[in-house]
Amino acid sequence: MRNLWLLLQRNAFFLAFAGLLALSLMVLVQNDGSARSSWFRATGGVAALLEGQQQQWANYLRLAEQNSDLAAQNAELREQLLSMRTSSEWQTDPDLGWKVKKGWLVKAPDGQPRSMALGTPGANGDIRIESGVLAFGCAFGSVVDLGQEHVRILPLLNTAGTWSCRLGQNGAVAPLTWDGRDPNRFSLNDVPRYAQFQAGDTVFTSGYDLKFPEGISVGIVIEEGPASGSEFKTVYVAPLLDLTSVRHIEFIRNISDSERTVLAQPLPAP
Amino acid sequence: MNGLRLVLLVALQALFLEEVAPFGEWSRPQWALWALLMLPPQLGPFAKLLAGFGMGLGLDIALGSYGHHMVAGTILGGALPTIHSLFSPRDGYEVTNKPTVRDLGTQWVIGVTLSAALLYHVALTLVDTWHAHLLGAAIWPAITSAVWTTFCCLLMHLLVLPPGRKNSSL
Repeated sequence: MRNLWLLLQRNAFFLAFAGLLALSLMVLVQNDGSARSSWFRATGGVAALLEGQQQQWANYLRLAEQNSDLAAQNAELREQLLSMRTSSEWQTDPDLGWKVKKGWLVKAPDGQPRSMALGTPGANGDIRIESGVLAFGCAFGSVVDLGQEHVRILPLLNTAGTWSCRLGQNGAVAPLTWDGRDPNRFSLNDVPRYAQFQAGDTVFTSGYDLKFPEGISVGIVIEEGPASGSEFKTVYVAPLLDLTSVRHIEFIRNISDSERTVLAQPLPAP
Repeated sequence: MNGLRLVLLVALQALFLEEVAPFGEWSRPQWALWALLMLPPQLGPFAKLLAGFGMGLGLDIALGSYGHHMVAGTILGGALPTIHSLFSPRDGYEVTNKPTVRDLGTQWVIGVTLSAALLYHVALTLVDTWHAHLLGAAIWPAITSAVWTTFCCLLMHLLVLPPGRKNSSL
């Protein structure tokens, strides 16, 4: 308090000058229309500027608050999703001739060229080798190795896999591979030159590899790549989902799986 | 004495000399400034500030200009201590020094009067004009009027306090 008093004393002349000047300006602004209008215009501009800034900050803070609410809601939903108990029974679709069993990934592919995925259940859940695996209704991979509780899955995001796909619902069939570089860029190789398509067209499974039924979504066409020979060309495809962040999966198997597997074997040499 | 001179000059300017402007707006002197500039330079800053404010208030009341001269007078009253210190002799002001040609010399009187008149006229023009786009045209008459005010103040000095006359009564 004493310091404040000393400060006031030290600047008493300036304070008196400012006070008298303010008084004079007040008298002037109150009585002079031109000065008043100029004053109001100047202060109005400043006030508008301040209000604009304040509005911007308010919007920003409101947005931050909404973001925070959404993040909390998202976390809650994710928690519900993760704690959701999956059905342990195979669900059969007699019209399609396929049956489906829910499962989840223990380890997702990490984008490395030879990276595998681990899922559960395993043999105890009646999962078999060569079963197809879906995620969010899209092709994810196929079971290649079997444990009691877990399975090893060869995902699309692995350079070792080749997947029979079709350009559109009725287009040309060609093998889909990944070159191990960009996780968002697959190659549909050996597409016949006559095949008609355009960027944005959906690529489906053909069903010829016996792991998936036909018509399961795989990705969308990005662009046409370089020609491979005079009769074929390459088409680049982007996957429909981020394969590295999949959590819930579905194992899929044909009802007549055993028969198909036996009949699909090559004929023994005469 | 200083207060009486201030009141007298304010009244004189308001009643008789306000319209005396030989070249119109280019030479509109502020006679009351002479009374303010006749304040002794040794006077305290508060007294100078109050005198400037009082002069402006008196002129506004007498002329009905509502705050214009108050603003300019307060600015000049606040700046007068600085002007006096800028023009002070090397050894400072002596107690007996009066702001006259005889005591402080012609150069001092002209310098202080011109500085004060310029400040007062420019401040007055600012509050008269208010709008920035009109200032360019208004500033030159303010400067010539300041020169004219300086001339009038020197004339007052010569008439009231000629250099040869003893001015101990002031």
